[in-house]
Amino acid sequence: MTSNVAKGTMTVEKKKNKKRSQWAEVWRRLKKNKMAMLGLAILTILVLTAIFADFIADYDNVVIKQDLVNKLQGPSAEHPFGTDEFGRDIFARMIHGARVSLRVGILAVGISIIIGGTLGAIAGYYGGKLDNVIMRVMDIFLAIPSILLAIAIVSALGPSLMNLMIAIGISSVPSYARIVRSSVLSIRDQEFIEAAKAIGANDLRIILKHIIPNALAPVIVQGTLGVAGAILSTAGLSFIGLGIQPPAPEWGAMLATGRPYLRYAWHVTTFPGLAIMITILALNLVGDGLRDALDPRLKQ
Amino acid sequence: MIKNKKFIMILSAIMVFALVLSACGTKPAEEGEPTGDKAVKDTLVIAQGADAKSLDPHATNDQPSSRVSKQIYNTLVESTVDMELVPGLAESWNQVDETTWEFNIRKGVKFHNGEELKASDVKFSIDRMLASKKVAHIVEAIDSVEVIDDYKVIIKTKEPFGPLLAHLSHTATSIVNEKAVTEAGENYGQNPVGTGPFKFVSWEAGDKITLERFDDYYKGPANVKTVVFRNITEGTNRTIGLETGELDIAYEIEPIDKDRVANHEKLQLIEGPSLSMAYIGMNNQKEPFNNEKVRKAINYAINVDDIITAVLNGAGQKANSPIGPRVFAHNDALKPYEYDPAKAKELLKEAGYENGFQTTIWTNDNPVRMQIAQIVQAQLKEIGIDVAIEPLEWGSYLERTAKGEHDMFILGWVTVTADPDYGLYALYHSSQHGGAGNRNFYTNEEVDKLLEEGRTAIDPEKRTEAYKKAQEIIVNDAPDVLLYYGTQNVGAQKSVKGFELHPAGHHSVYGVSFE
Repeated sequence: MTSNVAKGTMTVEKKKNKKRSQWAEVWRRLKKNKMAMLGLAILTILVLTAIFADFIADYDNVVIKQDLVNKLQGPSAEHPFGTDEFGRDIFARMIHGARVSLRVGILAVGISIIIGGTLGAIAGYYGGKLDNVIMRVMDIFLAIPSILLAIAIVSALGPSLMNLMIAIGISSVPSYARIVRSSVLSIRDQEFIEAAKAIGANDLRIILKHIIPNALAPVIVQGTLGVAGAILSTAGLSFIGLGIQPPAPEWGAMLATGRPYLRYAWHVTTFPGLAIMITILALNLVGDGLRDALDPRLKQ
Repeated sequence: MIKNKKFIMILSAIMVFALVLSACGTKPAEEGEPTGDKAVKDTLVIAQGADAKSLDPHATNDQPSSRVSKQIYNTLVESTVDMELVPGLAESWNQVDETTWEFNIRKGVKFHNGEELKASDVKFSIDRMLASKKVAHIVEAIDSVEVIDDYKVIIKTKEPFGPLLAHLSHTATSIVNEKAVTEAGENYGQNPVGTGPFKFVSWEAGDKITLERFDDYYKGPANVKTVVFRNITEGTNRTIGLETGELDIAYEIEPIDKDRVANHEKLQLIEGPSLSMAYIGMNNQKEPFNNEKVRKAINYAINVDDIITAVLNGAGQKANSPIGPRVFAHNDALKPYEYDPAKAKELLKEAGYENGFQTTIWTNDNPVRMQIAQIVQAQLKEIGIDVAIEPLEWGSYLERTAKGEHDMFILGWVTVTADPDYGLYALYHSSQHGGAGNRNFYTNEEVDKLLEEGRTAIDPEKRTEAYKKAQEIIVNDAPDVLLYYGTQNVGAQKSVKGFELHPAGHHSVYGVSFE
C-alpha cells in the first residue's frame, strides 16, 4: 500500500518536473540566441522606463509644459534631445511616449488575441458550418488592409486612446483566428483529446484545458511580433492625426509635428523615429527568437 | 538553323522595344524646349496649398478657387492692390438715387468662347449669384437688375446699400457668359468661360489646373503664354519646389521657411499685408460661454503675442478689432485684451467657475491652427480650463460649427472687399447665425442696429461713426478672442517680375513676366 502511494506522488512530481522543464527548455534555447537576448534587454529597459516615467520626468511640469521662448533648441545638457516647436523637452516626451506606445501595443494585441483566439478555437474545434461562417467573415476582414480598417474604425468612433486600441486590435483579429484555428485543427483529432472525451469532459473543459495550452506557442510568437505591428500602426495613425490627441506625447505624433522643421531642427524627428525603430527591432528579435525556441521540431 | 532564327527574332524584338522606349524618352524633352536654348520661358508655374473646389465663381467662395478664377474672369468693378475701386467690365457708373445705380458696360469685350459681353450676361450673372447659396450673401442687397440696352444695366438695391461697389469687386461676383453656362449645365465648374486674361485648358483634379493666354483680352494679351496652378499641400514641399526651380511662384511660404527663401540667391520673398483676421470663436449660446465674464476671462488668459512669435515667427499684428487697419472705418482707439492670467482667474471666480471647467476647441488640420490650439490649450490650463483639441475635416468643420454644435473653434475671416460691412455684418449680426458667418451665435440688438445703419447709409462719415461704435461694443462684449491680422507672403524666382500681392489674397498674374 505505502509503496503504491509513494509511486503515485512520484509520478505527479515527475509530471510537474516535466512541465516545468518544458518552459525551462524554451528559456534555455532562447538564452542561446544572442540577438533575442539583446532584444529582450532593450524591451526590459523600455518597460522599466514606461513604468517609472513619472519619476524620470514630471508630466505636468515638464512633459506638457510649453516654453515658447526656447522652441526648437538643439540637444544640450538641459534638454538631451532638444526641444520641440513649443519648447517642450523631447527626452521627457519620449519617455512618456513609451508608456503610450507599449500600452497600446500590448492591449491592442490582447484584444485581438482574446477575440481572435476564441473565434479561431470555436471554428477549429466544431468545424462544419460554424467554421465556415466564422472563417469566411474573417476572410472578409482580411480582404480589407488592416490600416485602412483601423482608420475607418477610429474615424467612426472618434480619436482617443481607447478607440485606437480597439481599432488596432480589431483590425488584426483575423490573423489570430487563423493561427489558432489551424493549430486547433491539428490538435483536435489527437488521442489525448479523444481520451478526454471518453472520460466525459465537456467541450469547454477540453478547449480550455487541453487544446488552448497546446496551441499557445504560435500565438505567443505572433503576439510578440504583433505588438511591434501595433506600435507601428499607432505611430502611423497618430502621424495622420487619428491617434493620441495633444498634448499627450506619442512617438508617431511627435514625428508628424516635426516634419516641417526637418531642415532646421533634425532632432525633433530623429529621436522619436529612432525610438520607434529600436522598439520594433527589439520586439522582432524577441519574436524571432521565441519562434525558434518554441518550434516543436527543434525539441530534443 | 532554328536556333539562329529564334535568336534573330529575339534580337529584333529587343531592338524594337528599345526604339519604342527611346522614342518615349526623348519626346517630353523635345516638347519642353521647342525653340532651343535661347527661348524665353513662357510657362508660369504657381503652387498653392489646396486644389480649387470649382471654377464656377458662383459655386464657391474659397481662397484656392478664387485664386484661379481671378485669372479667368473679370468683375464689373475691380479693386487694385491698394484697395482702390477702379472700372473693370463696367466702364463707368453713376448713382441715380439712393437705391439705383447705372452701369455702362465696356464695349468690345470678348469671352473666351468668342461671344461678346452684353448687358444680358451681366443680368444673367447677378441673377445667378442671387440664386446661389454659396455667394448670395455677397449680393443679397441687390433687388433687381434691369437691362436698358446692350451696354447699360440698372441695378436696384432693396434699401440704400453703401458698399455696393466694393461688393461688385469680389471675385464671387465675376461675370459669366450666359451661353457657356447654359451649354455646360452641371459641368460648368469644370468648363469655365470668362473674359479674363487667361482661358481654361485642363484640370487634373488634386494635381494641377492649366490656363492659356487669351489673345483677345480687352486690356491686351498677357506676358506669359501658359499658367499652371499646382496643388502642393505641404508648405515645406512648396519651398523645396522653388529651390529646385520646379516652381516659379509658391503661395504661403511656411513661417519657418521664410528666411531660407529670402536669403536664397535665386529666390525672392514677397510679403504684404492681408485683409485676414484670425480669431477663436466661442458658442455664445452655450454654457459657460453665454457668460460674458467667462469669455473675458478667456480673452485675458490667452497670450496673443506668444502665438504671433511662436507660430507665425512674428508675421502678424495683434488684433484690436474684428476688422483690420486696412479696412475702412477701422477703430484704432480700441485696446486689445492684455495677457493677465490673474485677472482671468478672478473673472472666472466671479462667474462661478472657480475650479474651471472642461471644454473642447475645434480646428481643421491647418498646421498653424493646430499649433494655436495647442498653445491655447496650455494657456487655458493655467487658469483651470481643461481644453480637449478636436481636429475636424474642413467640410464637416464648417458644417458643424454652422449648426452650433461647438464650444470653441479657430477660424479666420478675410474682409475681401475692405469694407466693414463685409467684415462685421456676417460675423456679428444676429440674422447671420451659423453658416452665414456668425458662428459665435452672438446677439446684440444695438450692434444689429449699428450694422444696419452702416450698411444703408451712403454718407461715409455716418458709416464710419456707426461702424466705430459697433466695433467698440463688440470688443467689449468679447464674443470671441481676436487673435491677429495676418500678413501674406509669396516666394518666387528672382526672374519673376511684376508680381503684386493683392491684400484680399487672390493675386492677378496678368502683369507677370520673366526676365
